[in-house]
Amino acid sequence: MRRTSWARAILSAYGWLFLAFIYAPILLIVVFSFNSNPVNMMIWQEFTLDWYRTIFGFPTKLNELTLYVESTDQLYKAVFNSLRVAVTTTLISTVLGTAVALAVARFRFRLRSFFRALMFMPMIMPDIILGIALLIFFVSFGFGLGLHTIIIGHTTFLTSYVFIVVSARLADMDQSLEEASADLGADGWTTFRRVTLPMIAPGVVGGAMLAFIISMDDLVITYFISGVDSTTLPVHIYGMLRRGIKPEINAIATVMLVFSFAVASIGLYLRSRKR
Amino acid sequence: MSGTEQHAKRRTKILLAALLVGPTLFLVVFFLIPLTIMLVYSWLTPGVYGGVEWTFSHLNYGRILGWANTRYEKFDPTYLAIFFQSVRLAATTVLASLIVCYPAAFWVARMPEKRRQFFIFLITLPFFISLIVRLFAWVLILRPTGFLNQALMGLGLIGQPLEIIYTDVAVIIGMTYVFIPFMFLPLYASIEKLDESLIEASQDLGANRIQTFLRVVLPQTLPGIIGGSIIVFIPSLGNFIVPSVLGGAKVVMTGNLIEQQFLSARNWPFGAALGMIVMTAVLVLLLLYVRAVSREDRQGVTLPVAHGGAK
Repeated sequence: MRRTSWARAILSAYGWLFLAFIYAPILLIVVFSFNSNPVNMMIWQEFTLDWYRTIFGFPTKLNELTLYVESTDQLYKAVFNSLRVAVTTTLISTVLGTAVALAVARFRFRLRSFFRALMFMPMIMPDIILGIALLIFFVSFGFGLGLHTIIIGHTTFLTSYVFIVVSARLADMDQSLEEASADLGADGWTTFRRVTLPMIAPGVVGGAMLAFIISMDDLVITYFISGVDSTTLPVHIYGMLRRGIKPEINAIATVMLVFSFAVASIGLYLRSRKR
Repeated sequence: MSGTEQHAKRRTKILLAALLVGPTLFLVVFFLIPLTIMLVYSWLTPGVYGGVEWTFSHLNYGRILGWANTRYEKFDPTYLAIFFQSVRLAATTVLASLIVCYPAAFWVARMPEKRRQFFIFLITLPFFISLIVRLFAWVLILRPTGFLNQALMGLGLIGQPLEIIYTDVAVIIGMTYVFIPFMFLPLYASIEKLDESLIEASQDLGANRIQTFLRVVLPQTLPGIIGGSIIVFIPSLGNFIVPSVLGGAKVVMTGNLIEQQFLSARNWPFGAALGMIVMTAVLVLLLLYVRAVSREDRQGVTLPVAHGGAK
């Protein structure tokens, strides 16, 4: 008995260590985004909001040290691009992914297993492969790289994510309600609109949110198929990192953290409530 | 009667076509055709000034695998060495994340239902945080002037900064950190299903802890271990962001090589051939997995992506 409780204590100590391993790096960014030391970010000097002022374009005393400040216009443009791509991609991939999920779950047809395999393929493919395949394709067919190519690229693999989330919902769903609706004389479309759609709605919303978050975050595929003027936020930050580590990246990262925490929390909360 | 039945059948067909025509068109044009073109490209001759000449060439593969020996295209063992280096780094990442996540999955699985939900939420939450932000955190920690070195020097444990960033270790730490949710979820799914009575039975029959673990717990959680390993291995093998941020110029993986061919060296056919080799490795691995699963013929084992739902 005593040995068991010892084992439990060690296990839970390990568990908290595991959580610390996950969250300490993230916390570090947040804490040091308020550090005024412009030379070594990891040595605490004093509390400041200057890095935030900088990225939001307010004047600070740092402006004299232009060395540390990158153009906020470019940052804003990248944010704006990311949002445009993510919103468009989410809309298209949600419609496409839901359509395939419905077809595969509710109809019997010859190509069903083909579609299942097709939907899994983009997920098991390393990002870089899809990135270069699309780059070759777009360039050899004269598409011209830009936001439209990023949108197409994201949609190809995010359709799969939506498909999987919606399929999971459809599998959990009670099919007898749809049958009842049909027995009561409703035609296919009415049943779909009045019964199926409301029931899969949480799955569709969940899939859409997942698609939005992944699209906002995608770096590898975007990196290959974005044109010169169409960088998204992750690609922009990747570029900043390669040019050198600057304290303002802490502030940008913290703002992004807050944003993703908010979206993810809302999504996961909705999911847990609907179950 | 049969008239309306036929009518209904036709309507079903139309509905099905309406659902599938858009997605099919989109995925054929923007997914299957690009992959096919990449395959074709890998067998073409690179043009002199970037670009491509539409003549067949097996030399792109020859340069990697050993038979190219012409004036311009020569076999260079470096490429294979980098590929095996990538396999090694990816395999080490799998092992590291397995060791890190396995006890944690046990920890969560033993919690009361409500707390469990909350902790799974906490552990999967970082998946939604930007990858580049999570990697940036490790740059801050591992740099010579970074958090870890400052802390160790402050404690007087080391005299001068350790060189961790731009090493294999940094890349493995980075990939392990980034892929934790991918490993955790499949492991958790199979540990949660673990039958406690079997463990008790094993102990009642006089097996010690290690025997129980090896004979009962490990075999039962094997599907989760294999599933998690595959979904961590695949994105690690083709990775180029982590080695480029945390490995610098010193740790090169196949992904970095591919990136160079496309964005600076501009030898697309060669880059496509490198890509095909990564893809072949992934497909072989998946095939082995599917075969192993179908041989076991166990229910509830699906493609690993279905568990983690992530790349």
